[in-house]
Order: sequence, then structure tokens, then C-alpha cells
Amino acid sequence: MRISFKLNGRLVEADVEPNELLINVLREKFGLTSVKYGCGIGECGACTVLVDGKPVLSCLTLAVDVNGREVTTVEGLAREGGLTPIQRALMEEGAIQCGYCTPGFVMVGEYLYRKGRKYSEEEIRSLIRGNLCRCTGYVNIVKAFKKALG
Amino acid sequence: MALEDPFSILEKYLSAEEYVVVGREFTRVDALDKALGRALFTEDYFIRYLQGNALFIKQVLSPHPHALIKAIHVDEAMGVAGVKAVVTHRDIPGVNQVGYALPDQPLLAERKVRYVGEVVALVAAESWEKAVEASQLVKVDYEPLPYVLDPLEAMSRTDILVHDEAGSNIAFKTRVRKGDVEKGFAEADVVVENEYRTHHQDHVYLETEAALAIPDSEGRITIIGAAQHPHLARDIAARVLGVPAGRVKVVVPYLGGGFGGKDDEGPLTISKAALVAYLTGRPAFIVYSREESIRIHPKREATIIRYKSGARRDGKLTAIDVTIIHDTGAYANRAPFILWRATMHASGPYEVPNARVDGYAVYTNKVYQGSFRGFGNPSIQFAVERQMDQLAEKLGLDPVEFRLMNILRPGSRTLTNQELDHSVGVGEALKKVAERSNWISKRREFDAFNKAEKRFKKGIGVGVAWHGISTSRGVPDWSNAVLKVEKDGSVVVFTGIVEMGQGSPTSSHVQIVSEILGVPPEMVRVVFGTSDAPDTGATHASRGTGIGGIGVEVAAGKIRERLARLAGDLLGVEPDKLVFREGRVYPRDNPERYIRWVDLVREAYARGVELSATGYFFLPKGKFDDTTGQGFAYPAFSYIVVVSEVEVDTETGVVRVTRVWPALASGRIISPLQVEGQVEGAVAQGLGYTLFEKLVFDERGGIVNADLTDYVIPTALDMPVVEKPIYVEDVYKYGALGAKGVGEMALIPLPASIANAVSHALGVNVTRLPLTPEYILQLEGVLRR
Repeated sequence: MRISFKLNGRLVEADVEPNELLINVLREKFGLTSVKYGCGIGECGACTVLVDGKPVLSCLTLAVDVNGREVTTVEGLAREGGLTPIQRALMEEGAIQCGYCTPGFVMVGEYLYRKGRKYSEEEIRSLIRGNLCRCTGYVNIVKAFKKALG
Repeated sequence: MALEDPFSILEKYLSAEEYVVVGREFTRVDALDKALGRALFTEDYFIRYLQGNALFIKQVLSPHPHALIKAIHVDEAMGVAGVKAVVTHRDIPGVNQVGYALPDQPLLAERKVRYVGEVVALVAAESWEKAVEASQLVKVDYEPLPYVLDPLEAMSRTDILVHDEAGSNIAFKTRVRKGDVEKGFAEADVVVENEYRTHHQDHVYLETEAALAIPDSEGRITIIGAAQHPHLARDIAARVLGVPAGRVKVVVPYLGGGFGGKDDEGPLTISKAALVAYLTGRPAFIVYSREESIRIHPKREATIIRYKSGARRDGKLTAIDVTIIHDTGAYANRAPFILWRATMHASGPYEVPNARVDGYAVYTNKVYQGSFRGFGNPSIQFAVERQMDQLAEKLGLDPVEFRLMNILRPGSRTLTNQELDHSVGVGEALKKVAERSNWISKRREFDAFNKAEKRFKKGIGVGVAWHGISTSRGVPDWSNAVLKVEKDGSVVVFTGIVEMGQGSPTSSHVQIVSEILGVPPEMVRVVFGTSDAPDTGATHASRGTGIGGIGVEVAAGKIRERLARLAGDLLGVEPDKLVFREGRVYPRDNPERYIRWVDLVREAYARGVELSATGYFFLPKGKFDDTTGQGFAYPAFSYIVVVSEVEVDTETGVVRVTRVWPALASGRIISPLQVEGQVEGAVAQGLGYTLFEKLVFDERGGIVNADLTDYVIPTALDMPVVEKPIYVEDVYKYGALGAKGVGEMALIPLPASIANAVSHALGVNVTRLPLTPEYILQLEGVLRR
């Protein structure tokens, strides 16, 4: 099937199978390797992207479902090489270790940041509970989110 | 050349009036690429550069816990369009032997399978779909055999043998005999005896195992793959292929976590990809699904520990008698080393005059035992520290006070009768953390709270641990690195240490070079994880910085000696009166009379001063007697104390850990931010292990919860408050700038500290992990076992 959608601000087209997952189309057809596979069943959040501005697990989303919509990955965030507030805070707070889960957290953070409101620590913990990190114990991730969103 | 002697270099930089880069705030050099999602992991190299060109590999797994392989039929699978190879043990050109400690393990099953999930064949095809389809068409004729899953049963039976040639299911034994245990118990005023049980844990590194092998025209092969020791992976792959090691090159890119799991499974993953590439002449790519990862790769072992200990009324330990049984599973893998570590740490960081310890690694028909952060130590420290709390209670002593009466200090002799001459800061760490956590008043406060409150109970517990640095006994261990200064003054370092999240090559190694040569960190590049660097040993055992960094320090120290002599000549100053700092070299008493680093380097190139150096250092060790378990066990020990505070809901049985206070005595802290990260990450991983992470096996030894829906790891909601670690910088004379090791540390006493806190809250005797609601309700007597 031929689908067309806006990907990181650019209109793109792709031939996909009806059962093809968005994560595979983004990684394999568009080379967007920031989108990570961690579990394949929507438990870890490493494959999180924004669809029409909302966080979506690309391992649970069929590619055909983004036809006519707008998809954003971490590659689409860096404006002229600059960092988003969440990316900057993650770096400054030492919240990045192996970096494999980082893109998922960046996308959730971007979604929250765009809402333009402030979040308490409790809200932040709850809002990132769908993203697993095995390295940091979340301590500095929560600090970074507080810094960027608090 | 005495100036370039590694011992003098280590001594020279062990302490300084002031460190400029070391111990300071430092942003790791890989943070930006990782924040931008640009950092490439193994699979990303495949997608970026070899997609459409490489074969996909799909593994065929055994559905049986124990069965003879009568025949493997590959014709039907080979008939699928796009399938290029079906590889079985028959196709291995070299040696089908990948056991690290004992030669008991094939890469691909041969003659029989020994656990559900064992890899029998590899199917390689042009597309993932075809590889999966063909893998289902590989027909294996199995003759099922009786199997054994319980280690106690396996120990006592010889009619079912996991490895027939071993003649027993006991894969390996260890022992310690110190003093006179009977006399020790006769002197004891109180004795405590328990049986402890711990369980299997999966690493759940977010990135699963992967490798990409690329053959080249001269019969060589390069593998980009996820492993923790590129040289070991290279050697294993070369053995499987039957080629000299020099024909195989392994490059480990960024790893999405390792925790020991990729130290065991990495070389096997890499060998599988290498094998297919070698046989087909095509690039080949393997990646494990999460389910495959959980089913195939080795786990933190389950243990049974029987522990008896005694103490006198004056608070001194008199004797311990310990039996440690590890459920080793189908293959020994690193079981003997893990069992050694557990055995030699069986006293905890305490002086014990009389000890008997017996360890058994026992084969069963389950997924096998492997390296996992702590390496046999968290389970034994859990037992030790539960014993210590109960002895203290019987003696009417405070748990911290009792521990301090027995704690190791400089001059103490350990369980193996090794004298510790320096770098023993555990007592100070314990005192400081007890103070910081208001230990004494909290114990009283919670006792009062628990008397008044019915449903919720509070507890506070302590766990103290030690962890030997480097390989055990006399097993050789070394560090190495190659450092070169380029003509423009930039510095390149080559190391075999990998970057798996801990940040050794991307922070502490850079800081060491920057400190010694006085160049800004931006001018330093560390090329890591490659078998083209000198063998630096594995990135395991908390050694990435403490030992991996020695080579970097020594190499940088050699270059500095050479440049100091040159600068001394140029400036007319004694070389040892020079300061190297911020890109300048100047006399200590006259910073204005400087020569710029870049000019000094140019001068060195002009005058024939060599600016490349190797930083080889072989760790001095002593003698160890395996028959008595006495002698030199480790060059030094890292220590940690963790105090945990819990709240238990007695109606639901749910344990919530609310606050954790860590105190490290692990030598020099080179990168405080990364050390904190290691402590916090280990707290999370240890919390999961202690409270809910547990692999569940079915009646055939298959793993029931082989996905992240059913195997649950902590989220941000599960985390307690983790206080800033207290550091006691008890520098170790041969560590990199005095560092010992941190990576594993906080996980080791955490289960004990939480179990002690729960025991305090409920007034029960916790002897098992994990502390699930069911177990808590059983302890309360609400649920029957």
C-alpha cells in the first residue's frame, strides 16, 4: 500500500505492507535510527514518536495508520543543530548513560513541553512511567524533566 | 627509564594537592550524540550501511529441556526462496566449544540439548520474513530424556546427568577452611542458623543482543557487535571459525546496557554472525527479539545458602559455617568464577577467626547461570547481613554497633586470611551513613510508630558489602592502553574497555588524560571497544575505570615524563617543577613563563621525542591455596554501605522502599556524576531484584515470563528517594588515580538492607527473595506457604 505522511516536517511517501509496523518503516525505510526497539510490545517506550503531536508507541502502530498524518522523531526536533529544552536538561543533569532509552524520553518530554504548562515531580514520575530505563534509576531523568518542565 | 616505570607513575599521581579535572563536574563526551538520538548501536549500523546487503540470521531453539538430537533435517528450510544457509554444529569449521571456565558448551547444540531455548541451528536468508519462515521448517528429531530442574535433586542424583561425561551434576566445588569452626561455635554465646533462597534475574538491557559480521577480501572478518570484551569475543569467534585471532576484528559500538549479560552472551552472538558470514561470504546480521533474549542468555543464578554463625557476648564473631548452592543451569559458563566470588565473600566485610565454607555449582536443565552485576555477591551478602541483624538482636546490640565491632580495618585479616594493609574505608563509611540517616533515632521512631499503627509498618535496615577488585586469587589481570599525541596536539587513546552506559571511556578516561597532560577534554578522543586496541580485559567486575583506567594513566604518565624533560630543557627548569594545565606547561612558581602545549608537541616532533606510549600494567598478586581457600584473594576491596527505609502495607503485603542512603568506600572518585549514576542505577536494578523481578519456570524448565509484560522491571514510580552518596576516598595504590570500582557496588547490599528493613518493620525473619506481596503475607502468617 502507498501511504503519504508528513515526517519531520517533510511530506514523504512509502510503499508498506498492511501489517507493517511504524517502527520498522521509520528505521528501515527512512533510516531514522533514533527510534529504538526494546520490547516490541509497548512496554518500554524506547520507540516513542509523536503522531499529530501526541506520543505514540511506534512498535504498536501500523504504518498505514499514519497515512495523512504528521510524524515526528528525535531527528525532527533538532532545530539547526540546537537542543530542545528536554535534551539540554537531560545532558546537564547526567540523565544519559547508555542512551538507548533516551530518544523515547526526549519525545515524551517534548510532548509535555509543548503543552506549555508546569508539572510537579509526582506528575512527571507518573507521565514517564511508560518509559523504561535500566541504567539511571530515573533519578536524574526526573531531575531533568523538573528542570525543563517544573 | 625509571621515570617511565608504571609503579612510579601510579605513585606519582595517586594523590595531588589539587586535581583540576578529576573529581570535578564533567559532561561525558557521548551525551550530546545520545541526546540527539545520533549515537549508533549495533543494529543501527546494519540499518544505515548494510541493509539489503546482509543476510538475516534467525535462531532455531530447542523446545526440550533435555533430549538427544537424532537428526537435523535442513532440506525443506533450504528450499525456501532467499534462504542462503542453514548452519548446524556439523558446519562449524573450527571448534564447537565456547565454555569460558569449563569446556562443556557448544555454540550450536551437538548430540543433545540441555535446556528449553538452547540454540540448535542458524537460518540465514535475504529477508527477515524468509529467515523466520525457514526456521520453522528446520526439523530436528529429538529423543526426549528425563530431566532435572531442582539443584538439590540434581546434586543427589546420578541417574540423570546434564553432562554425562562429568559423572555428576556438580559442575564445580569451592571451599574455605579457616581456624577451628567447632571450637569457634563452642566459644559462641549466641548462634543463628538459617536457609536463604534467592532467584533468577534477567538483565533487561534495553538493547537486546545483536551482531553484524562483514567478511573482507583477505579472508578476514570484522564484527560490529554487542559484547563487553572485544578481545574475548574475537578469540571465541576465531576458535569457532578455526582461524588465527588476527583474522578476526571485533568492534563494540555503543551498548544499550550490559550489566554482565553481554559479557557472557556477546561472544556467542558475535560468533554466530561471524560463522554465517564466514560460510556464506556475505555480511550477516543477528538480533535477538526480547523473548529470545530472555530465553537464551544466561541469568543471575538462583541460590540456596545455608548459613550458621556465632558470636560472643562481647560482640565478636567466633565462627561461620556456610554452604552455598548455585543453580548453574545447563552450562558452567562463568559459574566457577561466580561461585569463587560468593565463597570468598561469604563472611561479609568482617573479621571472622573460624570459617568453613563449601560451594557447589550444580547443573540443571534450565537456562544457565551467568555474569550479572554483583557476580554471586548480592545473594551471599543478603545471607550475611540477615545473619548479622539476627546475631545483633540476640546479643541485644544495635545492628550498626555490632557490625562496627567486627568490621574490617587496615591490618585486618579476611576470610581467606589475607592481610589488608590499606584502602579499607568501610568502617568510616558505616559510621558516616548511620549518622547521616539518623539511624539510631529512626530505629526508635519506627518502633514507636509500629506499636501505634496497625496497617502500615515502617522499618529501617542496613546492608554492608565488600567486593574484591580484579580477578580472584592469582588469576592474571592487567590493564593496557595505547596513547598517542598527534602533531596538532590532540590526543587519541585506544582501549578495549567498552562504553555500555557507565561512561569510563567517555568520562573518566578523558578526565585522566586531561588531568595528567593538562589538555582540555575536547582535545582527547578515546577509541574504545575495539580488538585493535591492546587487550584491556573485560568491562566487567566494576573495572572499567579502576583497572581499565590504569593503562590510560600509565600511558599518559609516560608521555608527560617525556614532554616534561623537553619542556624543562626549553624553559631551563627541573622537569618535576613543571605544571601541565589548560594547554600550557609552566614552572610552578612562574605561570607566566609558559610554553603552549601545541608548541611543545611541535617541538617534540621536530626533535625526535616519541609521542606514543603503551600503558601496560600487570596487577601484583599473591598466592592462594585452592584446597583450603586461604591466601591472596583480591588486590583490594571496594566497600559500600546502604541504609534503606521501607513502608509495608500489612493488608496487601506490598513493600515500598521510601529512601536509600548509600556510602561508598571505593577509592578515588574520578567522575562524581557518573558514580552517582552508577549508584542510582544499581539501586533501581537491585530494587527490582529484591521486590518483584523473578523469572518463572514451567514444569519443563521453560521460562514462563519471557517478555516485558510479564517480567516487570522498575519504573520511575517505584523508585525511592536516593540520597547523595557519601564518599570515603580510601585510595588504592594500584588503581587508576586510586580508584577501585563502583559499577556493581550499590546492588550488592541493597537486597540485604531492604530485607533487614522489612524484618525490622514486621518483626519477622526474611530469608527469601523477592519480597513479593505473597511472601510478605506468608511471613505475617496471613497466607500459608
